[in-house]
Amino acid sequence: MTIIALILSIILSTGSLFYGFHEQSLDAVSRWVLILGIAWLVSQWFKWNWFSSLALFASIVFAAIGLWTGVFFGWMAAGAVFALFAWDMSDFRQRLRFIPHDDDARGMERRHIARLSLLTLLGLVLLSAASLLQFKFTFEWGVFLVIVTLIGLTQLVDWFKKQ
Amino acid sequence: MKRFIFLSTIIYTLLLLGLVSLNGGLIATAIPFALYLLYGFYNAPESPQIRIERKLSSDRAAPGTDVIVTLTVHNDGGSIEELSIEDKLSSNLTLRLGSTRHLFRLPKGSSHALTYTVAGPRGAYNFESVQIEARDGLGLIHHAKTIPTAGQLFVFPDVRRLKSVVIRPRKTRVYAGQIPARAGGSGTDFFGVRDYQPGDSPRAINWHASARHADSLYANEFQQERVADVGIVLDARERANLFHEGHSIFEHSITAAAALSDALIAQGNRVGLLVYGSYLNWTLPAYGKFQRERILHSLARATVGHSSVFEGLEHLSSRMFPPESQIILVSSLTNDDLDIVVQFRARGYQVLVVSPDPIKYEIELLPSAKHVEIASRVVRLERNLLIRKLERAGVQVIEWDVSKPFDQAVGPVLMRPHSQGFVHWRVS
Repeated sequence: MTIIALILSIILSTGSLFYGFHEQSLDAVSRWVLILGIAWLVSQWFKWNWFSSLALFASIVFAAIGLWTGVFFGWMAAGAVFALFAWDMSDFRQRLRFIPHDDDARGMERRHIARLSLLTLLGLVLLSAASLLQFKFTFEWGVFLVIVTLIGLTQLVDWFKKQ
Repeated sequence: MKRFIFLSTIIYTLLLLGLVSLNGGLIATAIPFALYLLYGFYNAPESPQIRIERKLSSDRAAPGTDVIVTLTVHNDGGSIEELSIEDKLSSNLTLRLGSTRHLFRLPKGSSHALTYTVAGPRGAYNFESVQIEARDGLGLIHHAKTIPTAGQLFVFPDVRRLKSVVIRPRKTRVYAGQIPARAGGSGTDFFGVRDYQPGDSPRAINWHASARHADSLYANEFQQERVADVGIVLDARERANLFHEGHSIFEHSITAAAALSDALIAQGNRVGLLVYGSYLNWTLPAYGKFQRERILHSLARATVGHSSVFEGLEHLSSRMFPPESQIILVSSLTNDDLDIVVQFRARGYQVLVVSPDPIKYEIELLPSAKHVEIASRVVRLERNLLIRKLERAGVQVIEWDVSKPFDQAVGPVLMRPHSQGFVHWRVS
């Protein structure tokens, strides 16, 4: 079950990004997206679990490039969301290795996929709402976001220091 | 890098890029990631309050026998969505069935039992603790803990049964046993003739001797049979046990020591064990089943060790053993052991050396070549000379070809009564 969900999410993620770039005739970028998708699938075959983090980061970079260059928001957002799904599934698959046959592996898989699917769905709904509402980017909103970002970055630096 | 730090980095990067480029799409893309992260934090497990009980199907086993280990995990705290536990096994134990790593969900107040089966060679194995890790459902936040769950498994050496071991120490103890005590009394072996005493059984009258003397009666006297003090010395020195490419003859010495102690205790003797390796491990002499158990525990723990202090046998003090008792040295012998063993003999101890043949053992590990053959002949001559010197000092030596089981190869020799000293048996 996990492996099917993982493969599907990789295909959906890279497929969304590929289609978005292809629609805008950015074939050079779409080729790289395709290469990323194939490499991600191959890495799962060879159980290179570290590759998923790299692939998620690359997917975000591609999505950012797409949004910058004016590719349709929906495809880029879907690409990023499914990349997150695939990244999580890859890690979950790694954790599942420790479940012997007598443990409740199927139950854990079912619960995890259901939980993640719900989060993905909610994320997509919020993204759709954001794209439909098209909030106006005011100065106050910008200041608020800067403050939130700075607080978050401070937290991050703090975490890194503790590490 | 921790997963939540990685995700946070992505979120803040998207936010920063969105702010810098004034691109709302980039900021919006961060929403599902933030949602994911928030869910993880919201469901983060509190510090796990877990109790683990360990049960072993048997705390003592024979080599290679399956032992089932059961871990029962109790959750005294809040629900844990993902709990992974790992039990550390000694490298010598083999996992036969099941797994030492498990991942499961543990609701509040519930328990979960895990089992796995192990087997191992001779040894004493300690199970000390279990590593646990509690995670939220997405694996973002985790709390790791080490929970002490003590347990001990003894894999005893294979004890080969010997019918009897004939020893003749100079001194015996007061209790009745099977060892001739060099004193007249009740027994089975004829000892001598003495004057008939009132109260002696008429069956004891020696009629032949009495017929020759008209005025008195004579009675047969039998040799008293008593128990004795026996000290078994197990040589665990590295130089006497380790050979070509780390192969060790020590397991054979253990087998011999286990069989000898078992047989001697069964005969009612007071037996002690000294493991002479990197340090001295002394099991004080005692009688009975408990002592058998103590010796087996000591043998299970025994390992070959190196120490510059105990390189020779000179620290094998005669004060460790009761005077004029029986000492059994289980050792493959090195050339400089001669003086110490002879000194024991000189102090009145009866010394029996059971020596697993190291030359035959090692030659089978080496490739057959001319130089190996010549070398083995030279070493054999040296060893024969050493044994000859020991025999001359009155030490009984039994050489054992370890390719044959101890009870079959050495057992019949140990059963035969032998005269004091000058006995060398090469069992092959």
